[in-house]
Amino acid sequence: MFYLITFTLIYLAITVYFSYLGYRRTVTVSDYLLAGRQVHPVTMGLSYGATYISTSAIIGFGGVSALYGFGLTWLAFLNIMIGVWVAFVIFGKRTRKMGKALDAHTFPELLGRRYESRFIQGFSGLVILIFMPVYTAAVLIGISRFIEVYLNIPFSTAFLAFLLITACFVIWGGLKGVLYTSAFQGVIMVVSMVAIGISTYYSLGGISQAHRSLEAITPMVPHYLQEAGHRGFTSMPQVFSSIWWYVLTTMIMGVGIGVIGQPQLNVRFMTLKSDRELNRSVPFTAIFILCTTGVAYAVGALTNVYFYNTYTELPLHAVQGNLDKIIPLYIDRFYPQWFVALFLVCLMSAAMSAGSSQFHALGTSLSRDIFEQALLKGKSVAETTIVTRIGIVLSIFATLIIGLVLPESIVAVATAFFFSLCGATFIPVYLFGLYWKRGTKPAAKASILSGFFVSLIWMLLFHEEEARAFGLCRKIFNMESLAGHPWNMIDPQIIALPISFIVFIVVSLVTRPVREETVAKAFIHI
Amino acid sequence: MLGFSDSWVFAGFAFMIASALFCVVYGILNWRKGGIEK
Repeated sequence: MFYLITFTLIYLAITVYFSYLGYRRTVTVSDYLLAGRQVHPVTMGLSYGATYISTSAIIGFGGVSALYGFGLTWLAFLNIMIGVWVAFVIFGKRTRKMGKALDAHTFPELLGRRYESRFIQGFSGLVILIFMPVYTAAVLIGISRFIEVYLNIPFSTAFLAFLLITACFVIWGGLKGVLYTSAFQGVIMVVSMVAIGISTYYSLGGISQAHRSLEAITPMVPHYLQEAGHRGFTSMPQVFSSIWWYVLTTMIMGVGIGVIGQPQLNVRFMTLKSDRELNRSVPFTAIFILCTTGVAYAVGALTNVYFYNTYTELPLHAVQGNLDKIIPLYIDRFYPQWFVALFLVCLMSAAMSAGSSQFHALGTSLSRDIFEQALLKGKSVAETTIVTRIGIVLSIFATLIIGLVLPESIVAVATAFFFSLCGATFIPVYLFGLYWKRGTKPAAKASILSGFFVSLIWMLLFHEEEARAFGLCRKIFNMESLAGHPWNMIDPQIIALPISFIVFIVVSLVTRPVREETVAKAFIHI
Repeated sequence: MLGFSDSWVFAGFAFMIASALFCVVYGILNWRKGGIEK
């Protein structure tokens, strides 16, 4: 308890200092929304990484890799290649330039101004406002599960306390406060995760020996998982089996591709003053992602060796099937108390950096995208920051309710749900907006609506994971899913994203382009 | 390779590390490129 109180107080004191620094340096609306477009590349790299990689990756996907094994290293590859290189170089550079040319302050505003459509900005803001709290709840559930295991207090108490702490920082600090604190939190995450990675591999006799030990316990995989296609923790699942479809399309591709459509990440590109900062941010972010997700997925799989060698059972059984408790239990059982306290600070960092950015995106969606655009017809007012803070408070209540009603083993699933929905809804209009001058306003509307509704229908009626949770399909058709194998295991994004792309291209070719002046203005720096 | 008998898993592990190295090399090669618009 001494270590916990000491580390937590030091951490909170430094975080309060950085948040206060952000508050002091926030003068204009642009400061609050975009940190004045003057962010240092190391700050950008660490804060982007810390926002992208939350407790969801460490606790949620760490638990998933404990179940499915090393196949999740493909997700780490996509996290780096798509989430960093493609996001920064292919999307980020043009987002920064176009955001500046169109004077856009949020991701929906960028899309709305590019296509001259208040509807696109308002609808995009609404999608964020309604569905992002599911992801925010998942992030906060991640740390709440750890607090539950470590301090032995009720999950709901831990969840409520941490939700309030996170919300306080973003309400006062604006994006500058969020950037400063998340960069500091990013440093803590890298140090903690590297320490866990090295200690795990070292105590198992090195990299190759650790992997061989994991392969040796393949026969311990539960029979029902083997029947579904599980071939051990150091092998990919049986091709075309239900587990293979699920791991590949939902856990790997759903999150790996969906990151491009994440509003709270895309807005970061608009905070930089030149492409030079963007180029320099790429290596810092990539190393950060490797040290956090790469370690989390590897250690998650290797927990099987520890639990089997010590308790002759797999961690899946030790946590009674709740995947979100595997990493917390592993740290609690196999590490000294001072390190457990340090890891809790690491998770606080991960949860607060991601959570605060999400609350910031939620607040600006209400103020900038819905209040100013839909209600005031585009009129900019001085009350923007006040409405943003009201939006954050409303989001806190939504997150609280969602977090308390979500079932167990939900962190990775809820994350994949939001990433998948954003990917199918936003990626085509975003990509074509940056690269295709011929893209039209009706095409953008049709693409966003088709991506969103196809995703939603697929989730409610076909994809068994969500269809079973929502229960709508059972109520109407008296069955868990309208589709059989493999369609009931294929992620909604895999279906909705191609449809959304095709709709955009076809409608663009038969409708009138956006006004030439708008296109010229949007591409002025490109 | 590296204790993995499944070549797909080894490839995932190798690609994960290679992609991070690729990003580092990209950052170094483009360190001075991309100035501010006029």
